[in-house]
Amino acid sequence: MKTVYWLQGGGCGGDTYSLLSSDFMDVSELFTTLDLKLLWHPSLCSIDPAAHERLLTDIASGTTPLDILMVEGSIIFGPAGTGMFDTFRGRAKKELCHTLASHARYVVAVGTCAAFGGFGAGHAIEATGLQFTKKKKGGALGREFVSGSGMPVINLAGCPCHHDVIAGALMAVASDVPLELDRFQRPLEWYNTMVHQGCTRNEYHEYRVEESDFGEMGCLFFHMGCAGPLVPGPCNKLLWNRHSSKPRAGVPCFGCTSPDFPKSNPFFHTPNIEGIPLELPKGVNRAHYMVYKGMAAEAAPERLKKRSAKV
Amino acid sequence: MSSETKKIDIPFNRVEGDLEVKVDVTDDTITDAWSCGTMYRGFEAMMTGRGPLDGLVITPRICGICSLTHLNAAAVALDRIAQVTLPDNAIRLRNVALMAETIQSDLRQAVLMYMADFTNHKAYQKHPLFKEAVARYQMLSGSSVVEVIRKTKRLIEIIAIIGGQWPHTSFMVPGGVTSIPYVPKLMQSRLIFNRFLEWYEKKVLGCTIARWQAVTTRKELAQWFEERPEHRDSEVGFFIRFAEKAGLDTYGRGNDHFLCFGNFPLPKDTAVTPRVPGTDQLTTPGFFRETEYLALDAASIKEDITCSWFEQKPVVSHPFDSVTRPYASGNMGKPYSWVKAPRYDGLPAETGPLAEAVMDRVPLFLDLIRNTGATALVRQLARITRPARLLPDMGTWIDELLAHHADPFYTPVKTIPDGQGAGMIQAARGALGHWVTIENSKISNYQVITPTAWNGSPRDGQNQPGPWESALKGTPVKDPDNPVEAGHVIRSFDPCMVCAVHIVKNEK
Ligand code: SF4
Repeated sequence: MKTVYWLQGGGCGGDTYSLLSSDFMDVSELFTTLDLKLLWHPSLCSIDPAAHERLLTDIASGTTPLDILMVEGSIIFGPAGTGMFDTFRGRAKKELCHTLASHARYVVAVGTCAAFGGFGAGHAIEATGLQFTKKKKGGALGREFVSGSGMPVINLAGCPCHHDVIAGALMAVASDVPLELDRFQRPLEWYNTMVHQGCTRNEYHEYRVEESDFGEMGCLFFHMGCAGPLVPGPCNKLLWNRHSSKPRAGVPCFGCTSPDFPKSNPFFHTPNIEGIPLELPKGVNRAHYMVYKGMAAEAAPERLKKRSAKV
Repeated sequence: MSSETKKIDIPFNRVEGDLEVKVDVTDDTITDAWSCGTMYRGFEAMMTGRGPLDGLVITPRICGICSLTHLNAAAVALDRIAQVTLPDNAIRLRNVALMAETIQSDLRQAVLMYMADFTNHKAYQKHPLFKEAVARYQMLSGSSVVEVIRKTKRLIEIIAIIGGQWPHTSFMVPGGVTSIPYVPKLMQSRLIFNRFLEWYEKKVLGCTIARWQAVTTRKELAQWFEERPEHRDSEVGFFIRFAEKAGLDTYGRGNDHFLCFGNFPLPKDTAVTPRVPGTDQLTTPGFFRETEYLALDAASIKEDITCSWFEQKPVVSHPFDSVTRPYASGNMGKPYSWVKAPRYDGLPAETGPLAEAVMDRVPLFLDLIRNTGATALVRQLARITRPARLLPDMGTWIDELLAHHADPFYTPVKTIPDGQGAGMIQAARGALGHWVTIENSKISNYQVITPTAWNGSPRDGQNQPGPWESALKGTPVKDPDNPVEAGHVIRSFDPCMVCAVHIVKNEK
């Protein structure tokens, strides 16, 4: 049996609620099948305050082994590095995070706030991720941190992280299956394809049939601020709640798996020069891309121009 | 007789984020309470100066369990500023999604968060229903827990069908919604809905919704109870049996002022009728004081920061004018919370499913309050039975979407003009407001008052306690190390501290 402690820092709880939608398997089955003992989760445990205190002492002294530390939400350092904007029984929660992480075999950052700082990074609350602050390595635990297993923090990016990714990562670490990570420590298993791949608007993108208002069927990249071709992530490949994804429902991808999410430029709008987005799909050559897109728009099939292909 | 007053600090788990309550206990009874939000997330730093639509993406991240509700409030504020009329289908789609979110929240709160406390070994091992409570509500393995996880997860699929995903979609935009769900997907929604409804009637109520709605007094509730074993074995039945034996009908009474912003605007062409005739939304806005129903007046809403860790200028203001700058931390002087004290006409007010039931004049709850007051039991009963009031109308709107499928879902809004708008709606936990000011095509001020800020408010300049601070007074505490009774009271308000943590302006 392996133990799990779920720490909630500065976040919205969205990753917990995402996890509750896990389908293969559902949360309760997942924990029984993997033989995981959930020592603590703020919403899914019911031990009394005194017992929780004892548990923390036992983890800190090594009496209770901690196999997996899951952290949701950012680590808050404000004001002025004190951490007093987020306290647990009068003490800064960042210290609790440090203690738990130094005893864990695996440390998993669930969601973009825990991975990269998310909404509070660069703002008054001085939020950081566990091992990154936005793109900069370091974070709450430091550049060199490795957990008991020798792995650095595993970053399950996303706002929230996709339910199947959280469940999948739990399966992997519970069975000591090594996860290969990218330079932002996101497992390649789920973060080596673009959100773009699998989007039902892809054919519109190919022929540059663009959408410039809501409720249409074209591609959302050129005007509506979609980051699908710019960021890696499993949305569209793994559907959400078994059914859909934001771009499928006409909502642009906001690039929430990226370390610099949320960017400061307005959502729902693509910064561009003369209709060509400033940021081009990952890895393309600007000159080639412009020629290719010009030709593609010319060559677009009628059914797409008429937007008769359903998305 | 001299009695000693003990001071205890109670951290609360199973709420979003962070809440600690300090109470004075004399002769095993709480004599005073201070509610302290221990986390400050400083959201508004990133709202100010951002694009006018950005609230649609950022504010859902205030709270993971009611992210769609924040989206809805943000969208309504922008609808107002753009002065756009929504097509009926957009209203239906928004309402259906919001109902799905509210219902999942009610059931998860009841079973995963509220009834979970009935398995507290130290407090209840001698309770005659303890064994059964453990079998039902043991975390992650109890029969009811497993069922609720499975059933609510399915219900949420309706939101994914409409909006792409849950939580954190942004499919509501000024003018309507971003997509048109196809007919087979709407039919799937109808089937998901049917299954959920069937389960809710069978397992949660133990009877049909129609039978439950016929229970209009405390006496009829007792008759309903005796009528069939299914009624007693349902979640509602078991909850009442356990709670009465544990005494939850004897404490937890708040300040008896109820506030409701109203919710679910009615499409022009619809079979759904308002709860109280004459309003243009399904649930009724208003304020209830003693015996008086007052029409909602948005100008009467003020925030007081006398006891909150914010810069004290101005101390009281309307949310359009509020300035929020964090100031000091730790334990010092009067302030003791990161939550502000919202007041209606100078009074603290309770909000949530019970307030909705009062405002909608639901006879059973009016009768219960007349008899026992708004106790922890009554408040929690209002929550677990609220889906019975929402489900029938939700079904009607899904059917109307199918019937009117060819009609528009979006009214184009080219640009958002400068101006001010408020999005005031009902979240699962109660009254939620977003107050937005757009200047020079950018957000210049964004203020949110959440339901938990109302219910979990600290004291104000008049030293008036917030609703659950009041409700804690008189609550018995048998074991100070395990103050489960205080937990029952606070959880009956369904606290969500993450969203109470105030949205603030960056101090530059
Ligand atoms: S909508 Fe977004 S994800 Fe889909 S094809 Fe266009 S750019 Fe790609």
